[in-house]
Amino acid sequence: MAQELMIVSRDLCFSYPESDHALFSHINFSIDGQGFFSLFGFSGSGKSTLARLIGGLLKPDSGSILRSGLEHSLFSYNTERLPGWITVREHLEDVAPPGRSELLLEIVSELDIVSFMDHKFPRLSMGQKNRVNFARYLLQDFDLLIADEVLANVDEPSRTRILAFMKRRYPEKMFIYISHNAREVAVFSKQVLVIPQAGANGITGLISLSGMDLDDFGTADKTLVQNKMIEILQASSRAV
Amino acid sequence: MRLIQFLVIFLTGIAILMIVKYTGGLSDYLIPPLHEILLVTGRDWTDFFMPAMNTTSVAVAGHVFALFLAAVVAFIARTGSRVAGLVRTAAYNLQAYPVVAIAPIVFIFLGDGLASRLLIAALICYFPLLLSFLGIFSDPVVDVEHFFRQIGKLNSTTELSIRIFENLDKIITVVTGSGTLAMVGTIVAEFLAASNGIGYVIRKSLYQNNLAAILASLFFIGLFSSVYLMTVEFIGRTIKTRLAD
Repeated sequence: MAQELMIVSRDLCFSYPESDHALFSHINFSIDGQGFFSLFGFSGSGKSTLARLIGGLLKPDSGSILRSGLEHSLFSYNTERLPGWITVREHLEDVAPPGRSELLLEIVSELDIVSFMDHKFPRLSMGQKNRVNFARYLLQDFDLLIADEVLANVDEPSRTRILAFMKRRYPEKMFIYISHNAREVAVFSKQVLVIPQAGANGITGLISLSGMDLDDFGTADKTLVQNKMIEILQASSRAV
Repeated sequence: MRLIQFLVIFLTGIAILMIVKYTGGLSDYLIPPLHEILLVTGRDWTDFFMPAMNTTSVAVAGHVFALFLAAVVAFIARTGSRVAGLVRTAAYNLQAYPVVAIAPIVFIFLGDGLASRLLIAALICYFPLLLSFLGIFSDPVVDVEHFFRQIGKLNSTTELSIRIFENLDKIITVVTGSGTLAMVGTIVAEFLAASNGIGYVIRKSLYQNNLAAILASLFFIGLFSSVYLMTVEFIGRTIKTRLAD
């Protein structure tokens, strides 16, 4: 039987070496189960830092982040680049694990990157670069994929389509999605971890809200979406 | 462009010499007239052309050798191992020493032949190349390498390819700049003790106070140097275009 997917933070403290005050002080939170989770907060609130701590790219000063059932975790972010000397097609074929040719075709089609498969990365638009970068992560073996504003430059309809595809295609995986977009976070997420405004001791706690966990904007009740968005935005404006 | 730059600089230099000569009323012995310079250059051109070619070929060989050696050493020294740290420290300390100063020792041990000129040319352009390559090879291109690290596929070939590609402009500039140094190194070696090359011809002409021959030598070595650097830049541009397009 597969181990339950879980992330538990206990007394997490973190500060950047060049800073004289803590960014996170004794943070506790937990995420469990498969599905789509989000980290929400205003610019500079510490979303990416927390995502990096969860992904193991940064080490906490004290406290811990325990991950269970998440053997393969990946962290992607939006300014990543592909090697510039090969085409998108060559790169995706190179990095796709064996036996993933059908998945590759599916991802290429769903993320709408067919038309520039034979282009080199530096020639692509920002939105195309985001989609190609994310596509190569979706091709890999993973239990947890942390996506730090990976679709920041993608237009909204495409972003919605991609998020819906992720939820439909990978129901057994855990996603942690970092975004500034309150609407998509409200609609798609199972749980939203909101980073509130920092106090004198930094951020001392996260606000955990339930999301609507839908697969599409089309099925969402507009009033419920608006209420959820307001709830998320109010939480992120609150000082904790 | 380089060729035009060289011709402009060379002709400006000649023009200044002529202005100095005629305004100061200097003798033909000190600064020969223009027609004598042209006569010497045209009549005895093989006396300058062949040594200039000889010097250029030694400089090119020294440059290629230094490039290869710098690339290998920087590749080894790019890691965080103890040996790599030792190599890096040695490279930084050694580059502070003026290599030209040890040239006489090279001549004592290797004589005044090809080996000494080659070694001095290589040594003079080696350290700037090594320091640049060390910097480039050991500086991660995080936005490109991150994905390969995440999926556990960042081997040395991928890492090096990424770093070279991302720093191609810098590498082309450094290689071209070190090409000039290789020429300088070879000529300095020839000035000092060699029995061949354009530096040797200039040294002989200096002893004879023959400024026309010195100017003819400078013209040919400048010409060869410009052509060589143009070739290096052309190769760099071609590689870049092929990879990027």
